[in-house]
Amino acid sequence: MTLSKLSLRNARRQARDYLVYFVTVVLAAALLYAFNGLVFSTEIRALSQSMATLPLVIVLASAVVVCVFGWLVSYSTRFMLSRRSRELGTYLLIGLESRQVARLFFLENLAVGGCALVLGILLGGMLYQAFRAIVLTLFGMAYRFSFGFSLPATGLTALYFLLIYLYALRKSRKYIRKANIHDLLYLDRRNEEKAVRTGRKRRLIFIASILLGVLGTALLMAGNLSLGLAGAGCIILFLYGFFLSFASGVPAFFDRNPARKYRGQNLLVFRSLTAKLATMGILMATVSLIFTATLISEGTGLVFQGLYQGRSAPNACFDLFIGIDDEQQSFEPYLEYVEDNIPVEDSLLYPVYCGVDTDIIDYLDLNVKFYHYGIEQDMVMKYSDYAALRAIAGYPEARPEPGQYLIHCINYLEKALRQYDRTLTMGGVALTPGGIRTEHFLQQYSTGNGNRYLLVVPDEAVINQPVHHQAYAAKTVNPVSEEQYQALSAINQSESRTNPMGWDAIHTRANEKAEVAAQTALTVFPLYYLALALTMTAATILTIQQLAESERYRRQFALLRKLGMDRREMAGALRRQFAIYYAMPAIPPVLMGVPFLLNLAKLPEPGVMVGVHSPAAIAGIALGIFFLVYAVYILLAYTSLKRNVLPDGI
Amino acid sequence: MLQVQNIEKYYGSGNHVTKALDRVSFEVEDGEFVAIMGASGSGKTTLLNCISTIDSISAGSILLDGVSITELSETELAKFRRERLGFVFQDFNLLDTLTIEENIGLALALNHEDPRRVQRRVEETAGKLGISDILGKFPWQVSGGQKQRAACARAMIAGQTLLLADEPTGALDSKASKNLLEIMTAMNRDMGATILMVTHDAYSAGYAGRVLFLKDGRVFNELLRGGRSRAVFYHEILDVLAVLGGDISDVI
Repeated sequence: MTLSKLSLRNARRQARDYLVYFVTVVLAAALLYAFNGLVFSTEIRALSQSMATLPLVIVLASAVVVCVFGWLVSYSTRFMLSRRSRELGTYLLIGLESRQVARLFFLENLAVGGCALVLGILLGGMLYQAFRAIVLTLFGMAYRFSFGFSLPATGLTALYFLLIYLYALRKSRKYIRKANIHDLLYLDRRNEEKAVRTGRKRRLIFIASILLGVLGTALLMAGNLSLGLAGAGCIILFLYGFFLSFASGVPAFFDRNPARKYRGQNLLVFRSLTAKLATMGILMATVSLIFTATLISEGTGLVFQGLYQGRSAPNACFDLFIGIDDEQQSFEPYLEYVEDNIPVEDSLLYPVYCGVDTDIIDYLDLNVKFYHYGIEQDMVMKYSDYAALRAIAGYPEARPEPGQYLIHCINYLEKALRQYDRTLTMGGVALTPGGIRTEHFLQQYSTGNGNRYLLVVPDEAVINQPVHHQAYAAKTVNPVSEEQYQALSAINQSESRTNPMGWDAIHTRANEKAEVAAQTALTVFPLYYLALALTMTAATILTIQQLAESERYRRQFALLRKLGMDRREMAGALRRQFAIYYAMPAIPPVLMGVPFLLNLAKLPEPGVMVGVHSPAAIAGIALGIFFLVYAVYILLAYTSLKRNVLPDGI
Repeated sequence: MLQVQNIEKYYGSGNHVTKALDRVSFEVEDGEFVAIMGASGSGKTTLLNCISTIDSISAGSILLDGVSITELSETELAKFRRERLGFVFQDFNLLDTLTIEENIGLALALNHEDPRRVQRRVEETAGKLGISDILGKFPWQVSGGQKQRAACARAMIAGQTLLLADEPTGALDSKASKNLLEIMTAMNRDMGATILMVTHDAYSAGYAGRVLFLKDGRVFNELLRGGRSRAVFYHEILDVLAVLGGDISDVI
């Protein structure tokens, strides 16, 4: 048999024995290809100006993802190498040169990688269509399926794969060249030593690591970049310290409490877990670290998405809105442009008036966390303008009773303002509260329709009130295009303005939507890309570690059967072993990630992160996505292990 | 204690049926030390597997203390193995992840023995077998002979009445083999253990009180030691083996 035949046969066996790993490598190729598809797609880039930076962001994310997958492949290759040490030792024993063995190993891995790449690119083509559909839906455009094959995307994916494999194989070649026959033949029977031997040292490390974990989480939540970095450092130290001292502590605990050891299936469950103490400790810590990063990536993606949506939705209530910052500034250039270029169905140019006192601001300051951005007075609108604006925005009519005033505010203030019952005296008329409205109404800026809230009064009440600013709202025949929006913005920035420092608010419904879509694509895609790559990598490494123990488990359960353990008990022991193995690295990330996300989601101004973007929902969704992917791997590993270890015949 | 009555065992199906055991019958009395000899493929291990309920028989019956073990349910079988049978294998079959002490204690833990008593029992038994000083070590840290003594300790610690040994000296050097066989003899003589040992090796069989010879799945001959010395018995065994022929002669 020639060497190449032998490597092909080994490659087939490797793909079968490490199916989970192979599937992950295929998925890795698919992910890389699909994201590369986004990089090279002119269709996607043309969607909006902001999308021009998408390729750069994706390539940067890809660089990180390639490193992550590189580590996965390198780790798995090295792992398979050590699992097969006896076989490789036998090759050397029968007279193959280490150079030849290294080549054999290189060829079979290349074959596996090549197959995975081809399958992955095919799958990636489908995945890319899914991404396309998501992006187009974000921009509110129709999606039509068209299977295209992108040559540059394939080329870049192949390049990434080559880098990943060359790195991994260079390392294993070095290992094979240096190994001696005896070590290779007898490597697999040994248990590992405790990483931290003495009890005192172990307890110290354990306590210090817990303290570091608490400190790290607190620093991460402080919301300051350098403190955050220090916090991340603390968390890394915590994870390694915790798992190494914990893994070494289990046997010591049992040595002190021999009675516990022999209770139920404790002995089997814990001994199997602590057999590979040092690697397990480091592995668990690394996986835990990856899971923490995953949860934070997923949650941060959701926070950003929520932030964009929460900030943009209130500004997208009119097809076109312009608020003038400076009362000396003329509206003329804007109106001329609109008249010449944008067909309008209905429009209104209107003043927003100043209020009479600071009663409501004072009330809100007392009762809610309230940002007023330096604005120290109420804003008031006369009812006729309000009614016209509601019609332009497409809202139903809302008329206050005579002698009453309405409050139109953002959702967040509704609860507090419902309790507000003071009479408002304006223009010599006393008005009582006549209800609250909370539709989106462009209330985020000093040039909008009130700063978070607006008082709507009968027309006669404002006659003597000074004007705060002027604004213009329109319902257009067609959505305002990107070019038209840019042209309006150019007027805002032109030097012919009376006050070049002024800042007019220009909002179009179409542009708000495109901005949200672009920002979402720019931040959420890379973060999820990263999160997915990280979860897949960590879960795969856990799973191949576990499945590689199949043979040992099989021997163990065959013996236990002879010793009289029945199948139910064996299945129970296996399940417990499994549950602890997969739960351990997931617990610290949850304990640290959830408070971090809750805190992060509370950072934006109140009223933005609501509904599905409320802090609790974000933490919940991030956990949900994470455990969904994790569960797939757990299920795969458990069914496969159970089939290998506890066949039905037993 | 053990009655094997006309058992048959077939492997395969259709046109490819192999008869591994062919109407094998014998009895083992309480406290006996019986060796089963035969060439490779003669059915020794199959017979042992059938008695240990790991394998099922095609016909016949096996009675232990009058109870037919072929009629027990899966759960009853597990309980039966746990409480009545002890095993010693050629390749020791100790769990690599457990210390010697834990490997021995495992049999008691499976029996849901009071955990507080386990360690004391393990120490007692290990003392009798001379392995007290290696209890804290892992299997890969001790010699083959020590591993096999640990396996013997595991096989008897739960008060099992029938010890089934499959080539127990197969992986041991002559000194360790002799040591182990003496321990098994002591277990048989002093602790009343009934032993059924499958072996290739006439020297090992010489320690038994009775030797059954299997050939092509049938009991070919039977030798009783009676009052004879081990050396005399050993030579008688060699004589039978010479008649038996086959590849067994190469290990004499």
